Amino acid sequence: MQTTHSPAVDGVLGDLVRGSLDHCVKCTICETYCPFSKATPLFPGPKYSGPQAERFRIGDEPQPDASVDYCSSCGICTQVCPQGVKIAEINTRAKARLHRERGIKLRDRIIARPTVLGRLGTPVAPLANYTLTSRPLRIVAERVLGVHRDAAVPRFAGRTFHGWARSHSSPPGTRTVAFFHNCGTDYYEPDVGEKAVAVLEHNGLHVEIPKQGCCGLPLQSNGLFDDARAYVRRLTGALAPYARAGHDIVGPATSCTLMLKREALEILGMEDEEDVRVVSERTYDITEYLLAMHDRGELKTDFRPLPQRLAYHAPCQQQGHNIGKPALDLFALIPELEVVEMDHGCCGIAGTYGLKSEKYEISMKVGDGLFRQIGAARPDVVGCDSETCRWHIEHATGVPSEHPVSVLHRAYGLA
Amino acid sequence: MREPMRYDVIVVGAGVAGLVAAVRAAEGGARVLVLAKGVGATHLAPGTVDVLGYADGHRVQRPLDELPDFIGAHPGHPYVMVGAEEIEAALKWLQARVAAGPLPGYRYVGSPGENLLLPTAVGALKPSALAPASVAAGDLRDGGRLALVTIGQLRDFFPALAAAALAQVDGVQARAIELPLRAAARNDLNALGLAERFEDVVFRESVAAALHGRLEDDERVGFPAALGLQDPDGVWSDLQERLGRPVFEIPTLPPSVPGIRLFGILRAALRRAGGRIVVGGEVTGVEAERAHVRAVRAHVAAREQRHSTDWLVLATGGFASGGLEMDSRWQVHEPVLGLPVTGVPDPGAPRFTPRYFDDHPLARAGIATDAYQRPVAPSGERLYENVLVAGAALAGAAPWREKSGDGISVATGYRAGGQILEQVTPAAGGSQTTVSTEA
Amino acid sequence: MPQLQADLLVIGGGATGAGIAWDAALRGFDTILVERYDLATGTTGRFHGLLHSGGRYAVKDPDAARECIEENRILRRIAAGSIEDTGGLFVVTPGDDPAYADRLLAGCAETGVPCEEIGVEQALRSEPRLNPQIKRALRVPDASIDVWLLVNGLARGAADRGARILPYHEVVAVHRGDDAITGVRAHNHVTGEDVDIEAGFTINASGAWAAQVCELAGIEGVGVVPGKGIMIAMNHRLVNTVVNRCIPPSDGDILVPIRTVSVIGTTDVHVTDPDDHEISQDEVDQMLDSGEQLVPGFRQARALRVWTGARPLFRDEKADQAGDREISRAHTLLDHLERDGLARFLTITSGKLTTYRLMAKDTVDGMCRQLGLDRPTTTADTPLPDYRDGSAFRLGGRLRHKEDHLLDEQLVCECELVPRAWLEEHVRASGTTNLDDLRRSLRLGMGPCQGGFCMYRAAGIVQGIKDLAAPEADTSLRNFLEERWKGVWPILYGDQLRQARLDDWIFQGLLDVEHLPGDGAAHVASHGRRTAPAGMPDEDA
Repeated sequence: MQTTHSPAVDGVLGDLVRGSLDHCVKCTICETYCPFSKATPLFPGPKYSGPQAERFRIGDEPQPDASVDYCSSCGICTQVCPQGVKIAEINTRAKARLHRERGIKLRDRIIARPTVLGRLGTPVAPLANYTLTSRPLRIVAERVLGVHRDAAVPRFAGRTFHGWARSHSSPPGTRTVAFFHNCGTDYYEPDVGEKAVAVLEHNGLHVEIPKQGCCGLPLQSNGLFDDARAYVRRLTGALAPYARAGHDIVGPATSCTLMLKREALEILGMEDEEDVRVVSERTYDITEYLLAMHDRGELKTDFRPLPQRLAYHAPCQQQGHNIGKPALDLFALIPELEVVEMDHGCCGIAGTYGLKSEKYEISMKVGDGLFRQIGAARPDVVGCDSETCRWHIEHATGVPSEHPVSVLHRAYGLA
Repeated sequence: MREPMRYDVIVVGAGVAGLVAAVRAAEGGARVLVLAKGVGATHLAPGTVDVLGYADGHRVQRPLDELPDFIGAHPGHPYVMVGAEEIEAALKWLQARVAAGPLPGYRYVGSPGENLLLPTAVGALKPSALAPASVAAGDLRDGGRLALVTIGQLRDFFPALAAAALAQVDGVQARAIELPLRAAARNDLNALGLAERFEDVVFRESVAAALHGRLEDDERVGFPAALGLQDPDGVWSDLQERLGRPVFEIPTLPPSVPGIRLFGILRAALRRAGGRIVVGGEVTGVEAERAHVRAVRAHVAAREQRHSTDWLVLATGGFASGGLEMDSRWQVHEPVLGLPVTGVPDPGAPRFTPRYFDDHPLARAGIATDAYQRPVAPSGERLYENVLVAGAALAGAAPWREKSGDGISVATGYRAGGQILEQVTPAAGGSQTTVSTEA
Repeated sequence: MPQLQADLLVIGGGATGAGIAWDAALRGFDTILVERYDLATGTTGRFHGLLHSGGRYAVKDPDAARECIEENRILRRIAAGSIEDTGGLFVVTPGDDPAYADRLLAGCAETGVPCEEIGVEQALRSEPRLNPQIKRALRVPDASIDVWLLVNGLARGAADRGARILPYHEVVAVHRGDDAITGVRAHNHVTGEDVDIEAGFTINASGAWAAQVCELAGIEGVGVVPGKGIMIAMNHRLVNTVVNRCIPPSDGDILVPIRTVSVIGTTDVHVTDPDDHEISQDEVDQMLDSGEQLVPGFRQARALRVWTGARPLFRDEKADQAGDREISRAHTLLDHLERDGLARFLTITSGKLTTYRLMAKDTVDGMCRQLGLDRPTTTADTPLPDYRDGSAFRLGGRLRHKEDHLLDEQLVCECELVPRAWLEEHVRASGTTNLDDLRRSLRLGMGPCQGGFCMYRAAGIVQGIKDLAAPEADTSLRNFLEERWKGVWPILYGDQLRQARLDDWIFQGLLDVEHLPGDGAAHVASHGRRTAPAGMPDEDA
């Protein structure tokens, strides 16, 4: 008789995730906050698919519930649960098992590998971008692959961040940090990475940018756990020497830093791997890092006035760090910047979820409240820490969206 | 250990007690952080403020009048610390916050001077001091004729059960009506889902149309407490107008819509006052120097975060919220500060009796405090100078049987906030420049 | 007073009694079965659900072992739908004598119980929660069996062949002729009336209550000793295989995965009253410590409910007073014609659930002998009426069912995935308004929240169907709360305490059940001091 996961691969934490279902007192809080079960009746809700259904799942039967596939793994349920049930983690593992049993779609295998897409698309960026914006071709892609014709996909930059990094030499600083740039920055928004590095250097840090790959989060979300683990091993292998040397690891991509901090350990069960653990302990989200520097009096506050109206949306994954919203405190240092805090849980994209043809409408419905709030606030720009959220928000509202570090860069006057 | 963030007050727990204390302190200029490991208490409670419903077996009509006798009989009760005047002030304060909140027109009515008698979802009559106006409209002190309404898809409300019980009460006539309406694609609907539907005027029209001609002249109409979330007063008024008669709400199984509204109101008030709340990181301990807490440690992703503070309000609740825990060897702990827990039977002595409705030995366990809500050791020695305990974590109360739950939370939270203000000055450095969208 | 007649009257609606009714009906006897409460509320409904492979008895009681393995195989054929093929392990924990495993292997070989030693790593891979320091592991064909599915299947099968199954009929008098038993008078708890039953033959299958029924027949000195044991259901499947400690049979040495829970058991305290349900804190502690031996972290896991069951142990008053566990666990058929000069009356007692079919067969054979009839049994080859196609019980069944009804079905009990339609159907079919009975038969309220959410819903639904007046509905709800409490307070710590407090919030703070108007009349079929066990019936009805 098998349990639903293999301990040899999933580790003790895997058991702790499943065992956390014991804490569920059926209080319905998670269901109250789940944006996806509100948007679609096809998802019965986190309490149902998580601690409740898990008691009925067993290794030697095929997974009975396909409806868990509509969980986006946004993680809001785990955050609001007053009992400490690892709801989103239980769901993500159940989804992975479901996909392994029923076969993982080609589409999911493709969109789960942004580095592969990036490497393919970057040299032919103009053509690739044309393909992605051509309506007839998008319709074909929807029929063939299952990526919704209207889903917000980014444009290839035509150059890479890692290419820039190779020829960038960071000035010496008071201390060294290792920069974790993520795939989105690498292939679609290298300027965000450049600005982040510039901000860190402006504050006296020497920034090393090791050769690095994808954190594996989209692979994990799409149920390709073994591949995700391989990616995590490669990435942490590249970053671990810096951690061991006593350097912090800082990155602008809040979903990916959360992957290294927590999800790779809890969901992929990698807490026993030295490199993974050592990197996890040293990984910081960039706004978290800058704010901590500010609290120690180490942050330069020579910001120029930015007479703008900025709406800030903290992505679900940012909330998953449980550190509050450091970006807001940083924005508060910029004179004349008027900040409106959005009060809506999820924009709906949930990584690759909203790209999928069967899920796009759901993701737009989930984000609807946020889009309305943004509309009502009439901001010049939307600040948001995750690139997939930015693209989705821009697509839905037409308002340009920036990473908080780009705003800081502008306020510092670092042209 | 990582770098500190600095606050005047850290409140642990985002239930009514914690939020009330936080808002009061923040409005007084203190820099406040609320840390909670999740959202909870408010979403489960009926959303009424019960001050004292039952005292030693009899139903209480006038809580403030009976308070002196009650605390005479229960000298360890939290109300001993607070007193009638402060209870009244706290409730008035809450009413003002509700009225100033983001829900237009929404207000709490009633007073601790005299209890309302509100029908419950099984048809008992529960004494409450304050309730949302839409709930208080079900008051049965003077009896009445009731038509209790539901739709089949709502799985959490059974008006026929309630009506059967209510019909036994002198002066009350009650019956149930199930409307053949569909509100959702799924037949598993809860009060929150229904509340969202009631926000839709088309749905309200269909409800009114379905009830047309089915109601007697003098019948009040009772719905499950699902009459809107964003604009409940608007929804309620509209229904009253359409039906041409008083309409009221009956709180039912969680998620509690009135509770969620209250949480939203208090959270907005906190934000307006410049306070902040972080949900999800669990407080794992404190750093203290002799009897002074200096900082709070919270478990966040991958590490612990440290926040320094001048004051700590412990509003973590009782056993239901995890503010008190009992392990498999029957040892009771308070997990944040490790405070000694009072009211726990000796090792080996039973914590419960075999009959459910009895008074259980463990029922009144909690943190003992001095008259200023500071935790004390069994010897009476004050354990911390700058820690205040509020809400269900306090020893000496049996909140659900006495019907005093939210009353204790509001009163002790209010008092804790007030005590801090008497001793703290506003933090230098200004509040945030954020403007809430809910203002 | 209504009068009934039958060829055979069976007293007792547990597995043995129902098995007898089935067997007798198959053999063409017109049968009536009476059971004082709901079916399977005696010992049958109060054990841990283990279908023995026989390994447990292979060393000390080879005959019992042989019986077990044979019946194990037969039941897997005829009662497939109530059996989950979990498999079983005997594990040597640190502190146990590893040599016992060799004796077990030898004993199994002798008695024909399949027993194979597997590597410790293999055992730990298949059961990650097992104590990582176990020294040896042996695999046997244990399984877990859902007694409600079983007993209801037997009863339905018998009823299909004309038997009358009468729950809530308590025998209050046994009719004696000069030298024979001629029938009984039974009290119907639902209607409040008595009914007279005239029977050509009477079989006393009341298990731990057998001596009491015999006394009603004027037969004294039947040595049935209730052996009371406690069991604790843990909130989820800590293991998916039956795990036995590889030691001579002892307390707390079995952990059984049954439906959504795992059950640790049991103790053995001899009492005089089979309705004695007292649970001592020492016993609870003992079970938790035993659990910790098998699954480290057991004490941090969530305990859901505790209950007692009384095994019927037969101590022949003429035999020596042996040690506690030395009393034979093989079943005992008492022929009262030989023993007491009373014809047409047999008592079957002792035994274990795994061998119920054999017990039933022996008993009906005994009846045939006395009557001079030659009607052999066919139960070994006749499958019970089943809801599925003869395939074994699957844990995910209800989840799959809900998946097919995601939009249209309303769940009453979310923890155990009980749809409203099943509850309504059951209330209509059984006529009961007793929430406790509904709980047991549908698993309503048997999950983590122990009825915190679903009991209000169930009360509302039942009230609606039966148009119950307030006193009855309210009493039912209050009774439920009291019954539930009995099984919960002795293990109320940790997560379950938090749950109970939340449920208090609902029942006291929100609903205020305590102050319902009226004080509630005595409810029909009040069940006195019983507490409730795990293990349920009626799957995909």
